[in-house]
Amino acid sequence: MSNSSIRARQPWRRANISTSIQIVLASVIPLPLVMLLALLAGLDLTMSFITLFVPLQLIVSSFVGYRAFGRRGIGDAILVVLTIFFSTFVLILLLSVLYSVITEGAKAISFQFIGQNNVYVSPTTSLDYGGVGHAILGTLIVVLLTTLAAVPLGVAMAIYLTQSQSKTRNLVRTFTQALSGLPSVVSGLFILSIIEATQMGRSGITGSLALFPLMLPTVARVAEEALRLVPVDLRYAALALGAPNYRAFFQVILPAAKSGLLTALLLGLARVVGETAPLILTMNPSSGTNLNPFDGGMTTLPTYIYNYLASSYQTSQARAWGAALVLLMVVGILFALARILGKSKSKKSKATK
Amino acid sequence: MNLVKTTSTLSAENISVWFGERQVLENVNLVFPANKVTALIGPSGCGKSTFLRTLNRMHELIPGAGLAGSVYLNGEDIYADGMDAVSVRIKVGMVFQKPNPFPTMSIRDNILSGLKLSGRKIENAEELVETSLRRASIWNEVKDRLGDQAISLSGGQQQRLCIARSLAMNPEVLLMDEPCSALDPGSTRRIEETISELSETMAIVIVTHNMQQAQRVSDQTAFFLADENTPGGVVEFGSTEQIFNGPIDPRTNDYVNGHFG
Amino acid sequence: MSQSQTKPQRRKLSAGPLSRGDKWFFRTTSAAAHFAFVLVALVLGFLLFQAWPVLQSQGVNFVLGSTWDPDSDPMVLQLGPMLWGSLLIAVLGILIATPMAISMAYLIVFMLPKRWASVATTLIDLLAALPSVVLGLWGLLVFTPIAAGWAEILNKYLGFIPLFQVTDPENGFMRSPFIAGWIVAVMIVPIITSVTREIFSQLDRDLINGALALGGSRLSTFRRVIMPTASSGVVGGVLLGLGRAVGETVAIFYVLNLSMEINWMNLVEPHGGAVASWILARFGEASPLEKQGLMAAGLVLFILTLIVNYIANVIVNRAQPWRKNQ
Repeated sequence: MSNSSIRARQPWRRANISTSIQIVLASVIPLPLVMLLALLAGLDLTMSFITLFVPLQLIVSSFVGYRAFGRRGIGDAILVVLTIFFSTFVLILLLSVLYSVITEGAKAISFQFIGQNNVYVSPTTSLDYGGVGHAILGTLIVVLLTTLAAVPLGVAMAIYLTQSQSKTRNLVRTFTQALSGLPSVVSGLFILSIIEATQMGRSGITGSLALFPLMLPTVARVAEEALRLVPVDLRYAALALGAPNYRAFFQVILPAAKSGLLTALLLGLARVVGETAPLILTMNPSSGTNLNPFDGGMTTLPTYIYNYLASSYQTSQARAWGAALVLLMVVGILFALARILGKSKSKKSKATK
Repeated sequence: MNLVKTTSTLSAENISVWFGERQVLENVNLVFPANKVTALIGPSGCGKSTFLRTLNRMHELIPGAGLAGSVYLNGEDIYADGMDAVSVRIKVGMVFQKPNPFPTMSIRDNILSGLKLSGRKIENAEELVETSLRRASIWNEVKDRLGDQAISLSGGQQQRLCIARSLAMNPEVLLMDEPCSALDPGSTRRIEETISELSETMAIVIVTHNMQQAQRVSDQTAFFLADENTPGGVVEFGSTEQIFNGPIDPRTNDYVNGHFG
Repeated sequence: MSQSQTKPQRRKLSAGPLSRGDKWFFRTTSAAAHFAFVLVALVLGFLLFQAWPVLQSQGVNFVLGSTWDPDSDPMVLQLGPMLWGSLLIAVLGILIATPMAISMAYLIVFMLPKRWASVATTLIDLLAALPSVVLGLWGLLVFTPIAAGWAEILNKYLGFIPLFQVTDPENGFMRSPFIAGWIVAVMIVPIITSVTREIFSQLDRDLINGALALGGSRLSTFRRVIMPTASSGVVGGVLLGLGRAVGETVAIFYVLNLSMEINWMNLVEPHGGAVASWILARFGEASPLEKQGLMAAGLVLFILTLIVNYIANVIVNRAQPWRKNQ
């Protein structure tokens, strides 16, 4: 098994030295050539890459591929070049997002930016004043309230889907999948329609409610997978010892699935912590710190970004970048935690075997 | 602990089994007396393990499972209306093919898990742990590390721990589903010795693919067979001596002598 | 041996009474699970309740017409250009994202060494959780100027193709469906990559290695071995991305000039439509009656994504039988 990855690379290994040199030359030469052309002709760099570099690379690689492997070398060269080209393009785009947020955000971020609220801040106020403190607290409160409802319910759904033999399980699964496709703005409209129908006020709790239908299916799906990873043998062992289902679940399955369920919580958090549209529809913004979710407006990090981005002032945009960096760090931390939990879990299950 | 020789018997009458619309067993009649070891042998897919699972109501956990006939434990039908599956499983213990100790519990907690899981009070915990581990012949190996995680044990030790876990419930019948198929010969031998000792205090039903094992440990043997596309059933049932040395049915003869299966 | 030869009667299994704890356990979890029905019904019900007057007064023109005039009497609320725009942007996003996602998945599963593959996987999974408002921020301030340059070049050299025609180049190339399509593509590439990668990695490695070792080329292995097995799963992943793209709100809101003047296919023309973004854009100053119209738009959007996601999930589940058999 250990040499299977080596076997997959045999076509490369088998190539003799002159072929290797040709391949290296073929991959390297087009780059400076295109740069030179672009410089001499004064072309746009991105465009010249797409219009010149890729075709050139394709032609050169196909030629080398043909010399090394015959006709099938052409196809392979094209496949490999295109794969690398497209993948690099994706990575550049995605990394560009991360890079922009980090470099632009770093300009705005400071202890004061993270700690203070925005009460006396106008669009032109210098970055030395005000910050996202209130938005961080708002995010925490709104998301925490959603979590309190969505996680127990989502886990209960997962329990039902894995522990019972009921015939409606597939139907429940279908509906959960349907919910997971609910556009976030529609979730906001849904709560808005309840607000309109009941004349209740807009506050933190209405925002939490709008996030709830978005978090629930994510938690349910990941929790179901986590519970499914617990070997069914353990459940049978517990039942064979005379355990009622609920004791088998709480004493045997739940401890074994603990880290997986935590992952469900974290991924659920990551799903809703960046949601914007539903909160704009269901909460009033606030520039001050408001810790009461049942009364008054509240700002969260995403709605903070949304509000500042609407303005074209430099400092406002800088604030938006700063908040985006904070938000991205929150998502990143949630993800890292989920990863670490997932890793330790898979190690443990390997050790059992 | 007071180990009274039980006189209970388990018997299966006219057992037929379905998975969905597919019938896998037809009309099985077997009696498992106390203090006897019964081996269930037969080729793969003939329904032995399925039959075993009907004896402590584990069968019904599989979606689409169906059953006809009765299983009597001390004269009481375990499938009767109002009979609680939990109380049946407490009296009829089960050891699975693959060792399945609870990975999140220590060795000690694994032994006590049965009592905790069935919601009973634990008295004399230390004594119960020691007795159970001794009866499963694993006490000497683990007595100094009862607090260790159960999965730190070797495969054979894990299986004996699972036997001990069942014994802690003091069952009247012990069902074993190919308990040695995942183990090395040394561990297998030790478990066979354990089975012989345990048979003095309970009825044991063991499913096995190993002819020698069936001969070594059992008092009586049932030979299961399923023809293609027909439900399985018992071809022959009798003393182990008779099944292996003088079978009446030619198919039994072929099987125990290794001509097929 | 048996007393009667009649067909044995099947008995009721699980006959015994459940303990009180188990009854409670199953009742609670079952109630929780069936809440999924309740929630879907509530969403549809409340939106329909609010939207009904508008749907009734506008009729089928609500989705076909192209006038949104809340101030006229009687009020005219028609969503056509926005619906068409949503589809146009989503399809463009899919067309851009799919080849990239498949390449990325192929690179991760079949070309990268294991360590780098897992780094790339982590990165892609993280980016799948990128908040759309952050993407909108990047799209507006970083990407739009760049993509507008691309659009200008496309228009300059390929302007004879209707897709790249504009009415007046003086209007510039910002805030066009072209840019929105790219933003949506960046957003759904991680989703499609995840699904595709999972399906690729479940393929029989021996089969693929064998095909390569036997002197089969990468290309023929890809075309004859990998794609036939994986294609339906990939299609499912693409449809999941489509569902996301159709529902995307904030990111498109920033990079698209929303206009009720329908833009059929001029991708680089600086105006277009998107239902979700339209809801967000109009919501602020909407009268109660117009809000009902926005609810109706939300209802249409939800039904659209329900259909897309349902088809996607059917296909993905069928392509991943190992998920169902657990």
